[in-house]
Amino acid sequence: MSQSDYDVIVIGGGHNGLVCANILAKKNKKVIIVEARSTCGGLLDDQIINCVPNFSTEVVNALGGLSVKYKPKSTIALSETGQHIRLTGNQHIDHRSIATFSESDADRYVEFHNKMSLFSKTLGSFMMSSPPRVMNHNYSDYFKLFKLGMNVRFLGKKNFNEFARMIGLNIADELEDNFENTLLQGLIAHDSIIGSNLGPRSPGTVINLMYRMANHDNSIFGGNYEIEGGCNQLTDALVSLAEKNKIKIITSAKVSKCIIQDDRAIGVELEDGKQIYGKSVVSNADPKSTYFNLLGSENLDTDVKRRVKHYRSKGRVAKLILDLNSIPSFNNCDESDLESRMIIAPSIDYIEENYNRSKFDKLSDEPIIELSLQENSEGMKRLNVQVQYASYKVQHGWDEAKDQCINSVIKLIKKYSPEIEKSIEGKKFISPDDVEIDYNVSGGHWHHGEIQIDQLFMLRPIPGASQYKTHLDGLYMCGAGSHPGGGLSGIPGKNAAQEILKGTN
Amino acid sequence: MSKDNRFIALKKTPFHSRTSLASRTNKWYNWNGYTVPTEYSTTELEYTAARNGTSVMDLTPMCKYEIKGSDAHKYIDYLVTRDLSEMNDNTVAYIIWCNEDGKVIDDGTIFKHSSEHFMLCCAVKILNWLNDSAIGFDVTIKDVTDTIAALSIQGPTSCSTLKNFGADSLENMKPFEMKEYNINGYNVLISRTGFTGDLGYELWTDPQNAETMWDSVMEAGSLLKIRPFGMNALEMTRIEAGFIQTNTDFVAAEDALRPVRMRSPYEIGMGWLVHLNKKNYFVGKNALKKEKQSGTTERCLVGLDIDGDKPAHGSVIYNEKKEDIGIVTAALWSPTLKKNIALASLKRPYGIKIKDNIFAEIYHPEEIEYRKIWARCKIVKRQFYSPERRNNVPADLYE
Repeated sequence: MSQSDYDVIVIGGGHNGLVCANILAKKNKKVIIVEARSTCGGLLDDQIINCVPNFSTEVVNALGGLSVKYKPKSTIALSETGQHIRLTGNQHIDHRSIATFSESDADRYVEFHNKMSLFSKTLGSFMMSSPPRVMNHNYSDYFKLFKLGMNVRFLGKKNFNEFARMIGLNIADELEDNFENTLLQGLIAHDSIIGSNLGPRSPGTVINLMYRMANHDNSIFGGNYEIEGGCNQLTDALVSLAEKNKIKIITSAKVSKCIIQDDRAIGVELEDGKQIYGKSVVSNADPKSTYFNLLGSENLDTDVKRRVKHYRSKGRVAKLILDLNSIPSFNNCDESDLESRMIIAPSIDYIEENYNRSKFDKLSDEPIIELSLQENSEGMKRLNVQVQYASYKVQHGWDEAKDQCINSVIKLIKKYSPEIEKSIEGKKFISPDDVEIDYNVSGGHWHHGEIQIDQLFMLRPIPGASQYKTHLDGLYMCGAGSHPGGGLSGIPGKNAAQEILKGTN
Repeated sequence: MSKDNRFIALKKTPFHSRTSLASRTNKWYNWNGYTVPTEYSTTELEYTAARNGTSVMDLTPMCKYEIKGSDAHKYIDYLVTRDLSEMNDNTVAYIIWCNEDGKVIDDGTIFKHSSEHFMLCCAVKILNWLNDSAIGFDVTIKDVTDTIAALSIQGPTSCSTLKNFGADSLENMKPFEMKEYNINGYNVLISRTGFTGDLGYELWTDPQNAETMWDSVMEAGSLLKIRPFGMNALEMTRIEAGFIQTNTDFVAAEDALRPVRMRSPYEIGMGWLVHLNKKNYFVGKNALKKEKQSGTTERCLVGLDIDGDKPAHGSVIYNEKKEDIGIVTAALWSPTLKKNIALASLKRPYGIKIKDNIFAEIYHPEEIEYRKIWARCKIVKRQFYSPERRNNVPADLYE
């Protein structure tokens, strides 16, 4: 075997790659990060992300602390009539807020919130470690699965039945059964479909919400944060930690393939032909890129290729960044409202209509958007707009569709902020296709692939590759395409590092 | 499909006008959606032609795929377990291919025209498998079953017959070679291949030449004991030759309902076709390597020489304690060898380490009643019949 320059080569310096590298380096592994872009961070970028969940405490502990300040963000559902709904994640406050519209909705909301928190906690207990792999016939894997089963069973008969009822359910049915206010229905439905390729009436949206909650402190509308100073603060913290841990980082270095010898990954080859050798290689890239580009389809079994091909990773969210010269005013909103996550998705039907168009890769004239106002001390004012159901490979292509999308978004915002257009100084639009090219994520999907029941737990990303291992010895995965998936938790990176340590010690 | 064929359940091969004329018994069966004769006159007579003269079989229904593209050679080498990286142009190779668990999907033959053009022949339809395997390779795959008419010309006088037909210096062709001929004004590809274990050739041509080709070949062999040959006789010759048949001797991995029925190459006597040290990865390599290293192969396919003269169709095989150790997959009283032979799938170590005291329980049908026979079996080489002339170059010629 060739001489190894490093213990571990990490392909991609996204947050999971950085977490994974740091944990490995803390265990005295000699690590190098090879990043294709000019800077680390990947999708952890203000250009992509509006607001984030808290970085997982367990990950922070494993890293030995991380100095990043989070600012909580509340949520506001905008209504054309000015009857906005404001939610914070705190049950008492939210109860009062909803009660001004409907006493019954307020009570039901608390009940719904408690139920969903309980279920998301049950699922969440499963998320911190590697998913079990039953094919291994390994005792500890069986035990893990048994434990999840018991966790669910110990919910008690009533809750267990309720869990079983809801696990495959669509969120629209559940919301319509519970709530009378359509704006509230739209708001919860929005957070159940955000980032996914599902409509509120698609089966599996309830589990999507549970999954999101497990990532957001088990709260529907709490657990949303803004990183003070922008997303790059978190990247910078991880990078400086990497420097402290003596990790070598090279940027603008795109890996073209894995070097394979005797059916084992022994290094990587860069696009400029340079080779780097390592005892293990871990890919922070999405599963499709990892399998088809790094590993290479000529090194994969047909059945594996079929599974990777089936892996669903078409992005559905676009980003519009509006540079402003003044703080805009929104109808019936005060200053603190402008610091919230502002959502325009007034009803379930509104969302479903949007989804219907996206099924045919068409754009909507009245899209679903999430707004987040960003300011800094240098006087920069920016309105970050997330556009849901902006299809990857949209009809007629994004070059043509881009302006149409921007115009309909601005037209929509004008309904709530009539003067907005005057303050716009610059526009930047990032489609899923742009994400695919600029961030090297196939499909341009936020989470490197749909978070749905067929791509979760031991099925993520594909059966046979679920414990951060790929089908090639010595090649691992640590990105959002691995369990527990995206959502800026850092957990895939941490879990992958632990698997690699298991494999090398 | 032409308009007239829309409601026809079974297709006719391009030789149909000739095969139906030759059929005396009207026994037909469905082979891959085509109707072809099981037997023309008497199975034994047809068998005798293959062993003593020339047999002619309509091979058109066999699945045929054309593989073209700049990665064609690389792709074929990746698809199959055998190392084909050094395969020469105008040669043919016997191959098997596996799924990711290292279980055999099918066996077949691969014909190499050039490194960018191959033809694959096999028993089971596998276009989807070929296409999905082709992800990442620059190849296009086309099902050409309907667009190539094929005849199998087998037997000791087959070379002489085809020389009369117009294939000059055919005797110099080595086994597993092929050559493009122009005979009577049309192109015909002749390969020295076959499924009978004897000297033999296969002819491939455009369907429009089929009828004239049949007539010319029959004419050319008229003094060399030529005879059309049906599926029943083929079954006899292939068992004697020890060739395996997909979905008879093993279940194709893609068709098997029960995972335990899938077989690795080592379990069906095809270990010699698995080249674990070939340079590039191939489908199933990881699993096969693991199986080889851990020695977890469960079964084996062996040849049996059985006492008595009653064929052991479907017999269960026992050890001396009357414990079930396997099953006969194909059996035959061999007229040429004068032996009662069979192919059997046994649970290891039987057939590999334990070769003695093996018995077959034969149920011999006698007019609605069965006679139960307890017969001792000897484990023998699977190639029961392999005459020297099979590989002779130049091939034997007869006047």
